[in-house]
Amino acid sequence: MNFRKAIILIFCFLPIVVLSQGRYITKTGEINFEASVPSFEEVKAKNSNVSAILNSDNGEFAALALMKGFRFKVALMEEHFNENYMESSKFPKATFKGKIIDFEVSKLSESAKEFIVAGQITMHGIDKFLELPATLAMADNTILMKLQFTLRPEDFNIEIPKIVSSKIAEEITVIADYSLTKPN
Amino acid sequence: MTQRRRFILLISLLALIGYFGYTYMYKDHRDIKTEVSEIEIVAPYLLERFKNDDGNDLLNRTITVTGTITQVESKVVTIDSNVHCSFTSELGSVKNGDIIVIKGRCIGYDDLFEIVKLDQCTIIK
Repeated sequence: MNFRKAIILIFCFLPIVVLSQGRYITKTGEINFEASVPSFEEVKAKNSNVSAILNSDNGEFAALALMKGFRFKVALMEEHFNENYMESSKFPKATFKGKIIDFEVSKLSESAKEFIVAGQITMHGIDKFLELPATLAMADNTILMKLQFTLRPEDFNIEIPKIVSSKIAEEITVIADYSLTKPN
Repeated sequence: MTQRRRFILLISLLALIGYFGYTYMYKDHRDIKTEVSEIEIVAPYLLERFKNDDGNDLLNRTITVTGTITQVESKVVTIDSNVHCSFTSELGSVKNGDIIVIKGRCIGYDDLFEIVKLDQCTIIK
């Protein structure tokens, strides 16, 4: 009887173990963006609490950044970013869901290798399909993933008033950094 | 004489505008540490509120969360596997299983991991 119970228990937990096999995660990923224009106040923010999941079996990748988590040097800029531009109470998060093309865990090594991540970014209520360049490396069972790309506020229906438009770049440089580890 | 007085008045007016303009543009960041928290809540209930779409009024608010620590990382404490609290500096001596009260700013619900995130946290108890 006890033996049967044990067998049943093992089978109950087996699917969980199998499912979580290839999941690499982080809850403290970093996204930096900059939209500075030379000779004006720098427009720069950082979010150090970005979540991301990479499925190493098939290369599927998802990330989520809470808009309120972006910190600026100037408090007023942070306020305007949240209230006027991103409307972060209405759209509290930005997400990305996609796949790393031709991903194979065995390809990864300590030296960074280039990949393309294709997927959909959702921000400010707008969906957009993008192909982003990324570099991936693997060290000590940690996958280091780095992306750098540019986004245009107008593509996400973000209006920048005329008086400040000269102080904010039309193309915003985004750098994302993830140290993905297997959950214990 | 009147011209000189007018000049002084103009200068002081400009200085005043400049001063208020500057303090408006470069006002200080909120100091979550010294803010009084608006609500005290247990971790599972906080998560429940966001799951039921009843949490948006807590966004950007300073709140106090209580519960048991389930994970400790260098600058992050997770309470009851539900609430992710990030600190701006290294943590003191806290460990799994400790009962804790944390104050921080609620930045939102992460539906990827089904957790609520707080930043600029401080340990109350």
